[in-house]
Amino acid sequence: MKKLFLFYLVLLTLSTAPIITMAQEKHTISGYIRDMSDGESLIGATAYVKELGSGTVSNAYGFYSITLASGQYNLEFKYLGYQTVLKAIDLKGNITLDIELSNAQTKLQEVVITESMEDDNVSSISMGSSRLDVQTIQKLPAFLGEADVLKSIQLLPGISSVGEGASGYNSRGGSVGQNLILLDEAPVYNSSHLFGFFSVFNPDAVKDTQLFRGAIPSKYGGRISSILDVRMKDGNNKCYSTSGGIGTVFSRLAFEGPIVKNKGSFIVAARRSYIDVLAAPFTDVLDDGAGLNFYDLTMKANYKLSSKDHVYLSGYLGRDRFMFDERQGFSWGNATSTLRWNHLFSDRLFSNFTLVYSDYDYELAFGDTDRDKFDWNSNINSYIFKPEFTYFLNSDNEMTFGGEAIYYTFEPANAVGVSNGNVQDISLDRKYNLETSVYIGNRQTVNPVLTLEYGLRFSSFRLFGPGTAIDYGEAPRPGLRRDTVSTTFFGSGKTIAEYSNFEPRLSFKVQLSSYSSIKGSYNRMAQYLHLISNTTASNPLDVWVPSSNNIEPQIGQQVSLGYFANLGKEESLEVSVEGYYRKAENQIDYIDGADLLINERLEGDLLSGEGRAYGLELSVKKDAGRFSGWMNYTIAKTELQVEGINRGEWYSTRFDQPHNFKIAAFYELNKRMTLSGNFVFNTGTPITFPTSRVIQRDLPVIPYNANDSRNNVRLPNYHRLDLALRVDGKKEKKGRVRKNNDYWVFSFINVYNRRNAFSIYFAENEELIADNVLPTEAVRVSIIGSIIPAISYNFNFNCL
Amino acid sequence: MKLKNTLNLILTLPLILLFCACEDPIDVNLAEADPVLVVDAWVNGQAEDQRIFLTQSQPFFDSVPLRGVKGATVQLRTLMDTYTFEDNGNGEYLWNPSPSQPQLGQDGDDFQLTITVNGTTYESISKRNPVPTIDSITFRFEEGNAFFPDSHFAEFWSRDIVGPGNTYWIKAYKNGELLRAADEINIAFDGGFSAGGNFDGVEFIRPIRDAINPLIDDEDNGGFLSPYVNGDSVYVEIHSLTNEAFFFLNEVAIQTNRQGGFAELFAAPLSNVPTNIVKTSGDGASVVGFFNVASIATNGKRFVP
Repeated sequence: MKKLFLFYLVLLTLSTAPIITMAQEKHTISGYIRDMSDGESLIGATAYVKELGSGTVSNAYGFYSITLASGQYNLEFKYLGYQTVLKAIDLKGNITLDIELSNAQTKLQEVVITESMEDDNVSSISMGSSRLDVQTIQKLPAFLGEADVLKSIQLLPGISSVGEGASGYNSRGGSVGQNLILLDEAPVYNSSHLFGFFSVFNPDAVKDTQLFRGAIPSKYGGRISSILDVRMKDGNNKCYSTSGGIGTVFSRLAFEGPIVKNKGSFIVAARRSYIDVLAAPFTDVLDDGAGLNFYDLTMKANYKLSSKDHVYLSGYLGRDRFMFDERQGFSWGNATSTLRWNHLFSDRLFSNFTLVYSDYDYELAFGDTDRDKFDWNSNINSYIFKPEFTYFLNSDNEMTFGGEAIYYTFEPANAVGVSNGNVQDISLDRKYNLETSVYIGNRQTVNPVLTLEYGLRFSSFRLFGPGTAIDYGEAPRPGLRRDTVSTTFFGSGKTIAEYSNFEPRLSFKVQLSSYSSIKGSYNRMAQYLHLISNTTASNPLDVWVPSSNNIEPQIGQQVSLGYFANLGKEESLEVSVEGYYRKAENQIDYIDGADLLINERLEGDLLSGEGRAYGLELSVKKDAGRFSGWMNYTIAKTELQVEGINRGEWYSTRFDQPHNFKIAAFYELNKRMTLSGNFVFNTGTPITFPTSRVIQRDLPVIPYNANDSRNNVRLPNYHRLDLALRVDGKKEKKGRVRKNNDYWVFSFINVYNRRNAFSIYFAENEELIADNVLPTEAVRVSIIGSIIPAISYNFNFNCL
Repeated sequence: MKLKNTLNLILTLPLILLFCACEDPIDVNLAEADPVLVVDAWVNGQAEDQRIFLTQSQPFFDSVPLRGVKGATVQLRTLMDTYTFEDNGNGEYLWNPSPSQPQLGQDGDDFQLTITVNGTTYESISKRNPVPTIDSITFRFEEGNAFFPDSHFAEFWSRDIVGPGNTYWIKAYKNGELLRAADEINIAFDGGFSAGGNFDGVEFIRPIRDAINPLIDDEDNGGFLSPYVNGDSVYVEIHSLTNEAFFFLNEVAIQTNRQGGFAELFAAPLSNVPTNIVKTSGDGASVVGFFNVASIATNGKRFVP
């Protein structure tokens, strides 16, 4: 907290700084950039000063600020898919200039539309970062017709997944648990519905998604692989609107509108699966209180208190429920809420204060009587306070600084087992933690050629009592369980373990010409929470554990270097090549036979090792024209080295894909029909095959790898083609623009019916037993084993 | 193991109801490896013949009879006694009870196993742990549901010995035939599923008591058949284990019980089962397998409604 106080001092100093710089007769143009139709703030819109050939972009709340010497300027406000607005300004004093841009879809006459942020790829300093807006996500062919944020992310360069149905994603060779997924700044610990088939983000309520996998600004921290920053819509502040859809899996409905016109608005969006409702008449499996559904509710409201103050309140509530009957079953869900207050200390000092509460819990119960049952629930609570400031020093420097304090409690198991009436409490201790960090960063345009962004984050983490710390001895040999040597009880508030880390971040851009640049970055990141999962895909029962006296924080370092160019006619083809090298310390793996569920001695079953990943990403993107899309090719390697696994030698991770190639393409057949397709090819992921069989009396054939190898064989290559056709309803009726839009999406996943292997397993086949010899077989499992067609109908009624 | 099985079912049932994953047996090529010595030394304290098997591991897909290792010397020792297992051919080593040695030691005895094959010596230790009695076996009627028709389930009643760390292997025989499938491996740690569960001195928990019921697919109507019908017999043995043997069987269950389909999403990676046998001298093949001296409690019942 002392550190936070220091930052307030810095802040005070900065608020007086303008007085000094004012001597040079500089003035500030600042304001918000919004969508004209619904008042949604536009994130990443450009305010470009023609005279200087440079500009700025709006932040996550649509705010921009440019400080210039007195004079005459022409400002251009641009955003992809919107009409450009030009403003001539005679700058004599500070100006507040709020801009509303009009969406190209509502165009009637020919006007200038920003069809591509033509120089953004080259001129922005960001690298290893991708933005996906919800319109693009909705155009992609989607599994069972449900547009999905996380599945769309997997079409970006450097992103892979262990297979269909697996939750989360792998970024540049990082594991699923090394990605920080933020929904309006609230961490989401499990981003999946139905294990990994759908994600928790309702596309109707999502405005913008940004993925950072290379250069990660100092304001983000807590995970070593990537940051996925999902921002919700604010809600239409002009008029009431509703949108929704009926799909194969979900029905969706969203309602939004002004609280007070142009001052405040809200949005409420809900989804529910209805497979149980549809199936009910045909099966008795769902009788007796059985349930099978998942739902989520996303809400947000915002209100402008004054020209300097704006508050936002957002929340998410989602749950998956799989109940066999009233008493037995399984459910999990996230609940998050975020309160934010934007305050303008001056037209150059933007601040935001965020309070977040986030909860993830699951519950598992079986046993149909009170005499014999098992109940288990587990949760992670986090409370976050996050002040952040952006100081627009001058047209060449933009400083960000702030801090973050997160108080976590982990309840790994609150569990009771009852055997023949005998009740046993088998709960584990709660764990209490505080993670704090402070950061400062600056983006500096040194000269027209060189731009730098540098920053430093200092993070620290404390695990404190009440709680018991266990000390483990050496394993008899690497890879075996470590036994308890001693236990120590720590009283309330007493520190059990403490860690801190400096996390420097640096990136640069060298502008080679108006259409090409070279960028590079370095970052070091610390991660204090660990996702404990030794299964192929992460599942909702996987526990997160904090760093402790036995588990050191994960440290990730990455360097990347890239060449960016805009080629072709009107430079409409964005091309980039990025290479990266990542190194990770304190990577967790597991002893053979590790007991990960409800185990107070869990830490004795964990192994620690090193990770490395490197690769080259080639990306080509075309935003403009009737034919648009992108193509990404990544050649990469990702490996781990852990004492006790694979003879202590480096081995490929389960999600390693040397070649990963994907295309997403969109073609406007006519004004009402768009055809989209994506094709994915990647090398099969590695898996462990046995060499031998071991026979023990009264037991099945035991597969055995006599060479002690891990992930020694690759699955067959994976490839899949998906297609979708979007048919829009008529845009005009009797020569007038319709207020209502609707569209159908027909999608086909796995068009040519390929059975891609998710895994291959080895087992005895009991049916084949003959002559006292036990036959064995290898079986290929395909998660999507056939073409999957789906239809969805989507609508929105604007300004009811 | 069982908790894992139950969880797998819970995790994957919703998926099975929603989609269909496809499974195809395929041909794959496996890496070659030198054969290792496989020791099967699961012996017990019953007053009857005891056998230890020494074989060579075979390539995984080789469906040929086991290759026994001949000409080894196999001995078990306690502080008081030495038990010599004689080569009975084809890798089988046999010990017969005699009036002076009616059985292998007593509860609480420590045993040392020594095997010498062509000048290479392998050793292991185990302890004969006590076992609780099986008080009774009962049959329970349950009305039909989505998975079972009106059915009769057997249940055995026994209570874990008080004190932490007692481990058991429960073997069930229906009409004289052992339930030996991968999903029928039934082991208990202090009456519960696992060491971390902190159970102690309880009646074996319900899923363990219930695991003596075979799951028989109903080929005609889907779902399962009643595990027991009029005239069927059930016979239950509880074998005491060392903790190491429990962890070995736990690993065997994880490695062999592959349910396929969506369960593969949540399957643990293939890894080698542990062994408690070590090579102490010589440069012969490396070794896998397990040594455990069990005490056994038994009970049986025929189902007559």
